[in-house]
Amino acid sequence: MKASANEVMTLAAKAARGAGAPPAQAAAFGRAALCHLAADRSAVDLITALDRLPHGPIVSLPLTFAALATPASPKAIFRADVPPDLVRSYAEAQPFATSVAVSGHQLTATLDIKTPTARPTVSRINLPDELARLLNSHAAKTLVPESAASRSSGAGAGLTDND
Amino acid sequence: MKDDGGPPQTELRPPDQVMRLARMGSMFPSRLSFLRTLIRRLAAEKVQIARPVWEMDSGGFGHAVYTLRLGGYDYSLVAVSTDLPPEQRTDRVIATAWDSAYVLYDGIPDAAEIARILASAPKQEAARFTERDLILSRANKSVRLFAHVVQALREGRQPEPEMVRDVGYLMRTTAVYGNGKFGIADRHMIDTRPGLEGPFAAEMLTVWLIRHFTHDLVEHVGGGTLDRRLKRHLGIGNATGLGMAPFLVTHPVLLNNWMLVRETALARVRALETLTPAEQDRLQALAARAAAHLHEWHVPDAVHQARIVTLRGDWETARRALDLTQNRPLDGAMRGVENASCDVQELMAALVIEPFGDLVDGLTDCMGDPFGALCQPLLDVAALRDRIQSDFDWALTPDYDAPDGCGQFWYVSAAKQEPRLGLRFTEAGAEHETPLDIGRRIKALHQDLKDHEGGVHAFLAAHPDHALANERVNMGADYPYAEIRDNLIATSCLPIDMLRCKLSFFGASKFDPKSDRWTRITLCQGAPLADELGPQADDWWLPVFDP
Repeated sequence: MKASANEVMTLAAKAARGAGAPPAQAAAFGRAALCHLAADRSAVDLITALDRLPHGPIVSLPLTFAALATPASPKAIFRADVPPDLVRSYAEAQPFATSVAVSGHQLTATLDIKTPTARPTVSRINLPDELARLLNSHAAKTLVPESAASRSSGAGAGLTDND
Repeated sequence: MKDDGGPPQTELRPPDQVMRLARMGSMFPSRLSFLRTLIRRLAAEKVQIARPVWEMDSGGFGHAVYTLRLGGYDYSLVAVSTDLPPEQRTDRVIATAWDSAYVLYDGIPDAAEIARILASAPKQEAARFTERDLILSRANKSVRLFAHVVQALREGRQPEPEMVRDVGYLMRTTAVYGNGKFGIADRHMIDTRPGLEGPFAAEMLTVWLIRHFTHDLVEHVGGGTLDRRLKRHLGIGNATGLGMAPFLVTHPVLLNNWMLVRETALARVRALETLTPAEQDRLQALAARAAAHLHEWHVPDAVHQARIVTLRGDWETARRALDLTQNRPLDGAMRGVENASCDVQELMAALVIEPFGDLVDGLTDCMGDPFGALCQPLLDVAALRDRIQSDFDWALTPDYDAPDGCGQFWYVSAAKQEPRLGLRFTEAGAEHETPLDIGRRIKALHQDLKDHEGGVHAFLAAHPDHALANERVNMGADYPYAEIRDNLIATSCLPIDMLRCKLSFFGASKFDPKSDRWTRITLCQGAPLADELGPQADDWWLPVFDP
């Protein structure tokens, strides 16, 4: 399906949380998933990352990039089992200018904290059906079914509408 | 926003004072509010509103298209009015049908695009939209006032002024969706366009145009012309519930920038050494207008009405004490109400900013968030622990294990996928709690840091659940107004305070709380009409019906 960037980002973040990611890492995955799909990279990278929760790159990559945002450690070297395209997507999702380089089997990323960058702008994102189903399935785990109590008070009760 | 040698300013009010729910729940609209900024822009560009399409039957059912050009771009409001049975009319988010539906369109729609919108807009969340659709909204009539105005116009007279004054709108919106919802355009596609750069600018433009449509519609059905004075007082109502509250927690940079701009504006006017006689007269006139506005503000809820009545009296006391001839008169005005209620203090803050557009309006350029949080993380566990201890006392103080300290939990409902608030010890679902418990998370982080030394990265690798709290603590140095400094899961937490803060930035007035979880408000009341976008267009802070 075609979706807006915000739809993809929020759905992916909810899905990661539903699949077991802590909230900050889930939000980072949402931003990275948007960059990933906007660049027409493989949905398999995202599906695999979700499958590896509560471990794997969704948990580790945000911490790695956070550490890059310091003058002391401007470069990171990534594990071989992390898909390079996913690293690129996380790099593009940072609020600072980043670059990712491949040298042999080694993948490194650098980040320039003096250069803020806005995320890429795209009008429509192609969200593959299989990924959409998985994201919606995981995202649904964060929802709370309605109950009598929630119906009567969850959003505020006592409405008088026809005035 | 840094002090870059701009106008002189006093010290900012500290975040510990400003970012409290009770104070945020006392805020009033100001000239920094998004609607005011938009109207100034429309007036500066002398924007003309055209109505190329008006296909309405005698009952007022059909559609219309309004067009305008702003900042070099064309925009259109497509309005659809439908015959809604009374039993289907509800402001709640569970509604599936409304009196009217709207799309703010990017450009001028051709017949095919109008047809597409006519088919989709009335379905709202149940439909899919395109990147040409910028904003999606819907509104229900105030049946009482709409019918009264129609009847009056049909009888060749004007409606009863008291009814217009007391209700204040012909329709109220129940949702104004932007930023990609249901397939509409993402905000980043338009947020660099002149006139739409500011937060919620496209939403505010939509609301202002909807108000214009409601005037046209009632005149069409009534077959007469509303008195301009009445029309100007007819704003657009809005019913706002919990859905809006989490935004302030999940967008800390935006919240910081909004509050920082407001506090900087206040600090700039407080630094004024003297006021001219004209400025003094202007402030006294505005203070009197505020008093009149308070006397026209009536709500059915007894508790809130009592609060308004108290404010009326307190405001008179504050007005009488205003000495605008002294040195630093506006600093004196704020100091003079330091021991008054938050309501009085925040009304005074909005008042003293009002006449000084030249000094503060430029600050509104800093209210967006183009990048997200730009901050360097703390690397050392000891430094992180020290930061929490020095800057996050508000988070460390509450006892989150006490029943009252965690009596509520935020969640998203499966039925409507909307934010809700539940009672932790009597309702199911707390295991799916939405992470708005920032204070509790920071205290938990601090607790676990006690037994660690070394690098933060290694700590978070072992404790990934603390990453959110770590992020928020790291933001603290650069974004001091980013956090609501209260316990948002306490039994005593009133979401209505969060709603009022956000809505005051929109420019809302006449807050009419229906519970501690949703409120009615009025937008655009007193705002210039489409043919009044002139040099005086911006003078509508806290409007009154009988000036």
